[in-house]
Amino acid sequence: MLRLLVTLLLALAALPAAIAEERTLRVVSPWEITSLEPSRAGYVFTRMEVAETLTGADDGGLATPALAASWTVSDDGLVWRFRLREGARFHDGTAVTAEAVVAALERARAAPGVLGNAPIASFAALPGTVEIRLTRPFVALAAFLAHFSTQVLAPSAYDAEGRVRAVIGSGPYRVVTVEPPQRLEVARAETWEGPPPAIGRASLLAAGRGETRAALAESGQADLVYTLDPASLERLKRNPRITVIARPIPRTITLKLNAADPRLADPRARAALSAAIDRQGIARAILRAPEMAATQLFPPTLAEWHVPGLAPLAHAPEHAEALLAELGWRKGPDGILVREGRAFRLTLRTFPDRPELPVIAAALQDQWRRIGVALEVSIGNASEIPAGHRDGTLEVGLLARNFSLVPDPIGTMLQDFSPGGGDWGAMGWSSEAMARALAALSATTDAAERARLRGEIAAILQAELPILPIAWYQHTLAASKRLAGVTLDPLELSYRIAAMRWAE
Amino acid sequence: MSRALGLVLLGAVALFALAGPVVIAADPAAQDLSAILHPPSPQHPLGTDHLGRDLAARLAHGTRLSLGLAILSVLSAAVPGVLLGLAAAASGGLVDRALASLADATMALPGLLLVLLVAGLAPGKVWPLWLGLSAALWVQYFRLTRATAAVLLASPEVEASRLLGFGPAYILRRHLWPRLAPPLAALAAFGVAGAVMAIGALGFIGIGLRPPMAEWGLMMTELLPHYHDAPWALAWPSALLFLTVLGLQLLAGARR
Amino acid sequence: MRRVAAAAARRGGQAVLVAVTVGALSFLLVHLLPGDIALRIAAGRYGYDLVSVQAAEAVRAELGLDRPVLVQFAEWLWRLGRLELGVSLVTGERVAAEIARQLGATLTLSFAALALSIPIGPALGVLMGLRPGGVLDRAGLAVASALRAVPSFVLGVALIILVSVELGALPAAGHGEVENIVLPAVTLALGLAAVSSRVAREAMAEVRAAPFFAFAETKGLTRRAVLWRHGLRNAAVPIVAFLGVQLVSLVEGVVVVESLFAWPGIGHALVHAVIARDVPMVQGTALVLGLIFVLLNAAVDLACLALDPRAGRR
Repeated sequence: MLRLLVTLLLALAALPAAIAEERTLRVVSPWEITSLEPSRAGYVFTRMEVAETLTGADDGGLATPALAASWTVSDDGLVWRFRLREGARFHDGTAVTAEAVVAALERARAAPGVLGNAPIASFAALPGTVEIRLTRPFVALAAFLAHFSTQVLAPSAYDAEGRVRAVIGSGPYRVVTVEPPQRLEVARAETWEGPPPAIGRASLLAAGRGETRAALAESGQADLVYTLDPASLERLKRNPRITVIARPIPRTITLKLNAADPRLADPRARAALSAAIDRQGIARAILRAPEMAATQLFPPTLAEWHVPGLAPLAHAPEHAEALLAELGWRKGPDGILVREGRAFRLTLRTFPDRPELPVIAAALQDQWRRIGVALEVSIGNASEIPAGHRDGTLEVGLLARNFSLVPDPIGTMLQDFSPGGGDWGAMGWSSEAMARALAALSATTDAAERARLRGEIAAILQAELPILPIAWYQHTLAASKRLAGVTLDPLELSYRIAAMRWAE
Repeated sequence: MSRALGLVLLGAVALFALAGPVVIAADPAAQDLSAILHPPSPQHPLGTDHLGRDLAARLAHGTRLSLGLAILSVLSAAVPGVLLGLAAAASGGLVDRALASLADATMALPGLLLVLLVAGLAPGKVWPLWLGLSAALWVQYFRLTRATAAVLLASPEVEASRLLGFGPAYILRRHLWPRLAPPLAALAAFGVAGAVMAIGALGFIGIGLRPPMAEWGLMMTELLPHYHDAPWALAWPSALLFLTVLGLQLLAGARR
Repeated sequence: MRRVAAAAARRGGQAVLVAVTVGALSFLLVHLLPGDIALRIAAGRYGYDLVSVQAAEAVRAELGLDRPVLVQFAEWLWRLGRLELGVSLVTGERVAAEIARQLGATLTLSFAALALSIPIGPALGVLMGLRPGGVLDRAGLAVASALRAVPSFVLGVALIILVSVELGALPAAGHGEVENIVLPAVTLALGLAAVSSRVAREAMAEVRAAPFFAFAETKGLTRRAVLWRHGLRNAAVPIVAFLGVQLVSLVEGVVVVESLFAWPGIGHALVHAVIARDVPMVQGTALVLGLIFVLLNAAVDLACLALDPRAGRR
């Protein structure tokens, strides 16, 4: 008991000393630092502004200069040239050369990531410029180069076998210590040639439980806390020391269905499952934001892709039951539908990193039970969903899909809805019309044509429902009032720490 | 005095487990998304949870599950444990050594670890929990029985009975059982308490049972984010868990 | 010396048993999971991103997945024995490297908890035992009974709500500063202390009632001298022996508390690995936790032998 008291007293005594030093900005997020490899957990380092990508994006999704100061496209659309920023240096002091950038891009293309979906023929290093040659015109290339997997690290960051041994980037902050999977500490980098950021030191803590993050925000032990659970959000809004920012972002909570499964192959079956979902109830009770109930796949914030005239997804359990009866399902004695001796039982995979998902899964379980579909919920690791996609064992997956994986949603669309589907997108479903529309959209720059194609894509998805939208997503941040200049990046590319300062 | 209190507590919980699901008509899994986190009311005597489910029904079913599973695990650990212990004590020699090695093998891993690993085999199902708990618990009964029986079987009283011609059944009933029963009962009570806590712990860290199953630990982990808006919701399963374990420990006696 | 050797041999045998049990359960885990076993095992060795159809086929040929199960199991144990723990299915890092990183965190927490529990548990217990039936004794019994009925996760949650959120005195999670260890260590320590205080109380009460204690007092020694020279060492034997039992609840408590407080130790890793079906990590972390348990038990054995020279002679 005495020892505990002494420790407490020592801890309290140490506080003034800590304040006298440079104050560290403490960031908390749910995502663990699972690896130093750019293609795995690279977003940790781009968000903390340690590593840079060639381009960034503004809040509207337009590509902005980052490591590349400007870029040009040839008339035939096949040759892109990115001019590197003057005076950019890596944290080990060496200059950022085109060769280093090309090496990083080659690695990104070979690893799982977005570059594999871009029709790139070759990279070339010219003096101070990186040249990318394409096999066909691809308008979204600049947006693709904002993805974290394309981050550029110094040649000295890699060991003899080509694995990352330290994250040596070119951003305004450099790594002080990294203790996977939970902690990262960064400090102002002297090699940053722009104006030095006001915040000198920052730390990142990965805390998986939503209540823990909320507790850290509430008690003032963290300055920036991301991804709060809806229940804590209300409480935090009433806290006088915290500013809560909640922004709808281009992410949608979706149900990934295995359309190759005989029970789900017919579009009517998928439509029935969709009609049984009470999206309003889920948005109101679980997300505490009734306006987030999805009427179509794309939220209104993705203004270009959201189609105002589209018939909204509705809650109609009787219609669902009628559709399933049409397909030959009959209710068994226990209330579960049976067809040819097989019961309509599905297993749903989801993960707890986003606090709403397991609760929504429980709600879906009850709503589908009412129309006779027995759903078993399996809460595991997020990687179980892509694993299940690859080996064909996935039946239903619940996730929150990021449509601005690259600032242009076409990136996600290509990943998810190309023939063969994607880890987080369609499974066992393909559509010729979709493939044509996506290909055309990647190539054309005509505004009217693009609008028409986007409308076509949205309509196909609404009719065939290879994935079921459930609700749109709100990105949340609890920021201490001691910070000024806090903004929330709707594309989740950066925490924007370099633009913040302490409010005195 | 404390024994009586323990009996009362345990009796109340057991009554709730047996009669609760019958008396409380509400379906523990039925959701009502328009009535979340309501305080106790005539319609929902203990309130509703974050999905609008009736808390009283969920607690009753959860009590039945947790207590039932714990008691079942202890029984399926005690019966083989006692039998094997008697066999080891009676046979001696190679059989005794073999069984003792088996016991050592199981005891090498702390119980929760064993249960965790077994529960990982089929997450969300009840049978791995039961299997893991039984596998972790049987050793205690085995060792207790073996040690007590070995001493007793070598004692003059038993020798006398044998010389007088009494068979093994008589020896078991007259000599062994009266001496074994009290410590076994105490062990069983502690076992159930420990099992209940282990089930709750696994539910809390997300490895035990899954939605829509009602179980104390699982309920606590689901309701924890809402402790500010609906503290009673979190309090009910915590209180039940506490009272059950307390009752069992009081029942088992003050002696460790 | 022979007694030390005997104790060491016994614990060494237990270590082997731990390895075999963990290996067997992990083997079962791999084979019971849905999907392609060869792919999972190959991914376990090389990581999900590097694994390919060829690697899976190579594993299939090497393990002869159509060979008798016992042969496959023997091969599995052989790899385990050579400490080839493989690669985590989630991070792609080598399991041995990850565990090495987490081991320090778990050991720090365990020792902090044990250290905190000694002044709370045995020290208070000894004081209670000196005056059996007194006010301290009765109050201690009530508190200890109550504490023992509260699982560690409930206690941890209560502490977080009380200390961290309402009072804002200590952090709810994290790792690296001194404050971070206080709440998790206190949670564990309170659980341990609840039981060890009663054991200490019983032991002390017994010693106090023993003839040699009274004799020492009549000899003219002060109460403190009696306690120090005769009382504590005698009372210490059952307390230290009981430590062995406590280690079980310590290891179990570590798993739950690390998950709750996001303490980056082996318990936390084990839970994540079981949820993620990351079999190589499950095997590695369970193995290490089990071996730590055996090692600590061995230390307790040696401590008992040192404290009570009579114990070895049987």
